[in-house]
Amino acid sequence: MIKRYEDISVNGLDLIREIGSIGNGTAATALSSMLNAKVRMSLPNVRVMDFNAAQASLGDPEELVAAVLVELVGEIEGIMLLLLKQEFMDEVAQHLLNQSNVDIMQLDEMQTSALIECGNIMISSFVNAMTALANVEIQLSVPQIAVNMLGGIMSMPMAMMGYHSDRIMLITGEFRIDGKEMNSDMLLMPDVNSLNVLMKKLGVS
Amino acid sequence: MKITRQEGVLITYALGSCIGISFYDPMIKLGALLHIMLPEKPAGGDTNVFKFADSGIAETLRKLYAFGAMKGRLVCKIAGGAKMFEMKGGGGLGNIGDRNAMTVKKVLMANGLRVSSADTGANYARTMLLDVQTGQVRIRSVGKPEKIL
Repeated sequence: MIKRYEDISVNGLDLIREIGSIGNGTAATALSSMLNAKVRMSLPNVRVMDFNAAQASLGDPEELVAAVLVELVGEIEGIMLLLLKQEFMDEVAQHLLNQSNVDIMQLDEMQTSALIECGNIMISSFVNAMTALANVEIQLSVPQIAVNMLGGIMSMPMAMMGYHSDRIMLITGEFRIDGKEMNSDMLLMPDVNSLNVLMKKLGVS
Repeated sequence: MKITRQEGVLITYALGSCIGISFYDPMIKLGALLHIMLPEKPAGGDTNVFKFADSGIAETLRKLYAFGAMKGRLVCKIAGGAKMFEMKGGGGLGNIGDRNAMTVKKVLMANGLRVSSADTGANYARTMLLDVQTGQVRIRSVGKPEKIL
């Protein structure tokens, strides 16, 4: 049993990376069939950082982003977040709505629901892969979207973890659509106890 | 928490559900800007006092008084406490901003201080700036003109 993220063993980290890798792959496939485009996701990056460093690693705190957030409750608890930048929104609008030039400040209803659906599909696929692999039960909240400063958005997961930790674990994957860099991230942020659950279920000490 | 005297601008970026609390003593031009994330410090354990409203305000005031601030002169302003996501289902995380704002006001009042102006709630992030030379507090947010608090 570990009580802090930084106490996780090398084997534990490998396990988390493997889960992230399978999750990212599944999410990429799901997005690919939804957009009918080639989607590639990077190998996951697993990092344990204090709150300020975690935020800085994702970008300028005042940068405007769209974010789709889902809360995980059950045997694994935490937050999954899709941080979407302009490139991603343009690509989605092009493929799903046949539109170009999305204005992030003024997303209309169709654009908003297209983004939520992308988030929903990617996050659900990731979580499904994880539940199948580790045989855990996880309930997902209804996906929510916010378009605002990156720092404000990141305050949600940090507040959630804040009572138990000064640090946060980020399992991130970046994706490319049709070979184009999207500058967008998918993040899984589990609480510390979820790491224990995953390690126990998958027999890693 | 940042504290400074005479001149300079203290900034805390992109407050979401967190709260920024500015303290200013105009007589000696002493200012502090505290950024809290959660309402109450749980008993024992956590050593990061500035993360919580109750312990953060207590420690900031202790420092300010040590630097010569007088309670009667302190001007307090608060910003943040937004609800960035409309959460449905899940663990009830959505209203953390409201709880933060309520606790901050309560703790300030218990310390004999009044909030002279506030910009809290709604669903957007705020950057808060305290100019220590003038005591002016400004709020920056996306798609809105800068606001003087």
